Amino acid sequence: MTKALHIDPSEVRKPGFIEFTPIPVNQYNKTIDDEKQNYSKDDFLRIYRDMRYIREFETMLYTIKTTNAYNGIEYNNPGPAHLSMGQEASSVGQAYLLDTNDYIFGSHRSHGEILAKGLSAIHKLSEEELDTIMKEFLDGSTYKSILKFNEGKGKSIKELAVDFLIYGALAEIFAKETGFHKGLGGSMHAFFLPFGIYPNNAIVGGSADISVGAALYKKINRKPGSVICNIGDGSMACGPVWEGLMLSAMDQFNTLWEGDMKGGLPLIVNVMNNQYAMGGQTRGETMGYDFLARIGAGVNKDQMHSERIDGYDPLAVIDAMKRKLDILKSKKGPVLLDTITYRYSGHSPSDADAYRTPEEKAAWEAQDSIASYRLALISAGVASEDDFNAIDETVISGITDAVQLASDPVISPRMDLGKTPDAIEKIMFSNRKISKMEDREPEVLMSKEDNPRVQAIARKERYAYDENGKPYSKNKTYQLRDGLFEAILDKFYEDPTLVAYGEENRDWGGAFAVYRGLTEALPYHRLFNSPIAEAAIVGSAVGYAMSGGRALVELMYCDFLGRAGDEVFNQLPKWQAMSAGILKMPVVIRVSVGSKYGAQHSQDWTSLVAHIPGIKVAFPVTPYDAKGLMTTALNGSDPVIFFESQRIYDIGEQFHKEGVPAESYEIPFGEPDVKREGKDITILTIGATLYRALEAADKLEKDHGISAEVIDARSMVPFNFEKVIESVKKTGKIIVSGDACERGSYLNDLARNIGDLCFDHLDAPAVVLGSRNWITPAYELEEHFFPQADWFIDVIHQRIMPIKGYTPVRSFTDVEMIRRGKLGV
Amino acid sequence: MATAVIMPRQGQSVESCIIGKWHKKKGDKVSEGDTLFTYETDKATFDEAAKVSGEILEVFFEEGDDVPVLVNVCVIGEPGEDISGLRPEGSSAEQAGGPGQEAELIAPDKKEDYPEAQTAAGQNLYVSNMPEGDASNAPMSPRAKALAAKRNADLRFAEPSGPKGRIIERDVQKIVSEGHLATFAAGMGHPAGVAGSGIGGRVSVADIGRQPATSVDVSIPESYEEKHSNIRKIIAKSMHESLSTMAQLTLNASFDATDILDLRAKMKKAKENGMAERLGLSSSLTVPTINDIILYSVSRVLKTHRLCNAHYYPDKLVFFNTVNLGMAVDTPRGLMVPTIFAADKLSIAEISVQAKTLAADCQKGTISPDFIKNGTFTVTNLGSLGVESFTPVINPPQTCILGVNTITTAVKNVAGNAVPYQSMSLSLTFDHRALDGAPAARFLKDLKETLENFSLLLMQ
Repeated sequence: MTKALHIDPSEVRKPGFIEFTPIPVNQYNKTIDDEKQNYSKDDFLRIYRDMRYIREFETMLYTIKTTNAYNGIEYNNPGPAHLSMGQEASSVGQAYLLDTNDYIFGSHRSHGEILAKGLSAIHKLSEEELDTIMKEFLDGSTYKSILKFNEGKGKSIKELAVDFLIYGALAEIFAKETGFHKGLGGSMHAFFLPFGIYPNNAIVGGSADISVGAALYKKINRKPGSVICNIGDGSMACGPVWEGLMLSAMDQFNTLWEGDMKGGLPLIVNVMNNQYAMGGQTRGETMGYDFLARIGAGVNKDQMHSERIDGYDPLAVIDAMKRKLDILKSKKGPVLLDTITYRYSGHSPSDADAYRTPEEKAAWEAQDSIASYRLALISAGVASEDDFNAIDETVISGITDAVQLASDPVISPRMDLGKTPDAIEKIMFSNRKISKMEDREPEVLMSKEDNPRVQAIARKERYAYDENGKPYSKNKTYQLRDGLFEAILDKFYEDPTLVAYGEENRDWGGAFAVYRGLTEALPYHRLFNSPIAEAAIVGSAVGYAMSGGRALVELMYCDFLGRAGDEVFNQLPKWQAMSAGILKMPVVIRVSVGSKYGAQHSQDWTSLVAHIPGIKVAFPVTPYDAKGLMTTALNGSDPVIFFESQRIYDIGEQFHKEGVPAESYEIPFGEPDVKREGKDITILTIGATLYRALEAADKLEKDHGISAEVIDARSMVPFNFEKVIESVKKTGKIIVSGDACERGSYLNDLARNIGDLCFDHLDAPAVVLGSRNWITPAYELEEHFFPQADWFIDVIHQRIMPIKGYTPVRSFTDVEMIRRGKLGV
Repeated sequence: MATAVIMPRQGQSVESCIIGKWHKKKGDKVSEGDTLFTYETDKATFDEAAKVSGEILEVFFEEGDDVPVLVNVCVIGEPGEDISGLRPEGSSAEQAGGPGQEAELIAPDKKEDYPEAQTAAGQNLYVSNMPEGDASNAPMSPRAKALAAKRNADLRFAEPSGPKGRIIERDVQKIVSEGHLATFAAGMGHPAGVAGSGIGGRVSVADIGRQPATSVDVSIPESYEEKHSNIRKIIAKSMHESLSTMAQLTLNASFDATDILDLRAKMKKAKENGMAERLGLSSSLTVPTINDIILYSVSRVLKTHRLCNAHYYPDKLVFFNTVNLGMAVDTPRGLMVPTIFAADKLSIAEISVQAKTLAADCQKGTISPDFIKNGTFTVTNLGSLGVESFTPVINPPQTCILGVNTITTAVKNVAGNAVPYQSMSLSLTFDHRALDGAPAARFLKDLKETLENFSLLLMQ
């Protein structure tokens, strides 16, 4: 939505045709002789060597998986191994021109890409640079193993670096502490940042939207290099892949982004098209695109410069990469490559190949990329059999050394979780305070003081009540949305890498007016509207943060969280720990819990994310808490799902009598807050239920002489129970309440733990009061669905402490609980 | 015809909007489509355009006013038209609702009609009367159990008031407040008297089954601990200091209490039969207690025994020209000693009233700290508890403390006949550092004589 672009009905309604330009298919047709001017003998042979390393590496893994031994070294590897024998030319051709500023992202089948990119980087880096990288990586422990093993062999730093690469990757696959990230990622999540190798990904198509985020990072922060996204043909039907493509090809990069920001993303989406999606044949069976490259034509006017290339010829791939990297340099990205290849092994070693014939495999093997390339070089007189045999020998001995090293339990131990039980615990969160991800002047369009929203807020009352205790009118009150705005604005003026995007983030000011005033303050590349593509919004934020930036993205309604399921559940929370703490994930995702809008717009799904290890979860419901917790979230290095409630964006500060401070301040995550003191019963709430609990507390006091202490959880992960324990010791009774559907909710988790921690102090079991296990009905019926003030009194009467003379309306009896359980409602 | 321009309603939740800027003013000509004013909600700014042409006849609100939605903001029409009917009630209408109030939901039908209400209410949850017999087998909350064990509550008296007949904390509190405490033997056989083998000593079902029916209950602890209260700590410190630093010794003497007892009897009678009133004494006259009489006497006798009305310091004695009389009071929190200031200047009635008030304040714990210091002499009375003689401990830096004992019947020789009389004894502890035995004995002797002739003292 932007007023800058006029939608002219006469233009839109005009008849005509969409024209496509032909999409090249395997158009490379040069011979070795043609290429001699572009490659030296060393270059030609290095391409061969790199392919052989990959072939041998994968063969070794296959042999170990199937026979528990390689070259006489016994080893059992129970972990996954999705191998890429057959795909070597695609990987090596891709990596050939890339340097360490270029990032590759991968799939579950990316050992080859990792090795190719690493070998290419080693070739381009100086010995000095390599020495430094290896010495500094994990305090040099991996390098030390390599140096010790090779003592007296007179290897050069480059040779040692090759050993280092293969060993680091293999030790990672074998889950060893000397692996690239201490064995916590493994085969499907390996990476090595100093060589520009970004994570591969166990989720099909998982890297698609993450790569877009990395490309956004490079573009927005003017970083050199390109981003290559390696995904498989099997991922082309995945929603997040499509969403990533849409986000990567937004028109606004050319129509609305200004100055040097104008132009496309430096991104190549390279599909390693090995023709199989596990066992399904993509062309002819499970897809309908005929040629995968055709998809580019549906994405944008440039057809994503899409083409099919022959991934069986390394030189064809290099040729394509050269042309495509030039396109990226001229800001015409993104690019789609359909790189034809074939895998000889099954999806994994357990795959019996029931879906293809031996003849088909044999036909591809007959055209094997490595053998063909070797033959071609010999025929063209570039090198002799001896040259190749010497390379083969080096490769096999290198891989054998790596297996010996990596399989040795003394040189390459596993993380000892018995001796250091907190080793993983310590890396689940990085818990750092990093006020800016980079030290440079943030790009803004005006001073804070000139901002109309800032000026409007200055006229507002920062505490909800006047000196006589009378509430100010809504429009004169500093609201919760103002608290969020102030924290976010401050961060935009502090951290130059901070970007915010999502649906309706610009112009509109966010669906709930939190961002009103930001459009004026920020250039397009720091605040923009995204397509309605929740998966890509979150996935790209993951990539943006992984690359070194800080992202604040918005999912609008909580109910849309499911649309970003993989990104929220698998990507965002896992990478810090899977990377052994190497990667940071400063991403804040704003999620707004609705009401009034029925079953698909009114759900509190806080419990879903609280269940996932590795995400911090906050749900503030006062302006003071919202500003303080948002500041903490934006200063942090961890992923945060930041819940807000649409019921109370306009609420004023009722608790912090000094009013919400104008200056920046932090509220630590995990500390619940007593909003009302009492002595007879404790009510612990999550989210906007707080206000109904307070209403209940008023009624309990007035009508029944029961004094309730009301505690606002404020955040759910982490959560410090101490304050609650203290309260329950005093009162002996507790209700845990929130707007989530009761069954399986985090409310139960809190109640269960409190039951454990306070058992001897409890006068009744900890009671959970959530929403009904139904659809959320229409607004007018919501009082029958969400916990209401009266429900608290009803549940106290029936489950905790009968109140003399009280007649409950809702049933919270055993009989009712059992009945509901039986019906699953 | 004049047309009113209302404050539009921008969204269901918007109750009012602030007028940002007026683009037209009263008297301006406007054409359809002209922007009249801008207005803001908490989310956005909007322009309001004129829907008719004409002259602005009236403007009801100014810039910055917070106008409820659907209220008339201005009127457009032809000059001279009557607009009085379009004027909103008060041009700065009252705001409805404050922050923090979630929109009120539509009132449901009568809740009593809900089927759930019937099931919920149908249960008699508030069980105030248990069936005849023993409640000690009723289910019990862990908190109630812990309290019962701590206070040794006799659970046979429990009236379970929790859900499902559960004994909860308030039920145990009730037992305790009613004084139903378990004796050693009565502690057997109910959960509070079972040794728990569970985690943290929790009683499990197995533990209850394991109790031999006739065994001596070993679960009632031989002793239990209570942390010192602050007042206990202060008493301990000052008493120990007193005994460890002073040279205290106690003299005992008894006196014939006939005179003061007769006097009290007379006063009581006079009050009862109206004599006091006829004599012009206040109807609110209170009969002084024996303690009041002793306090009064002490305040007078001390005037001539300066060593007893003094403070002892290592290098000097401080003598007082007035008597600030400390009186020991037993309270639930421990011993407190409030002061009757300038007692030597007060009448017996005044002392009586003050002593009563101070004691009550100490009992309630409302005594001001100003009234528990600066005593020059202390009187402590254990007579009501039947004590016949004791050695009170001096409240430093005072030099003396007088203990008052109970009244006993003694016999005296009157003209060769053994005559019984009411005898009361006094125990004076003094600090030998400050004074010797003889001056202390002299004070005691004077006090004895004064009390034996108390009615004469009243003639003062």
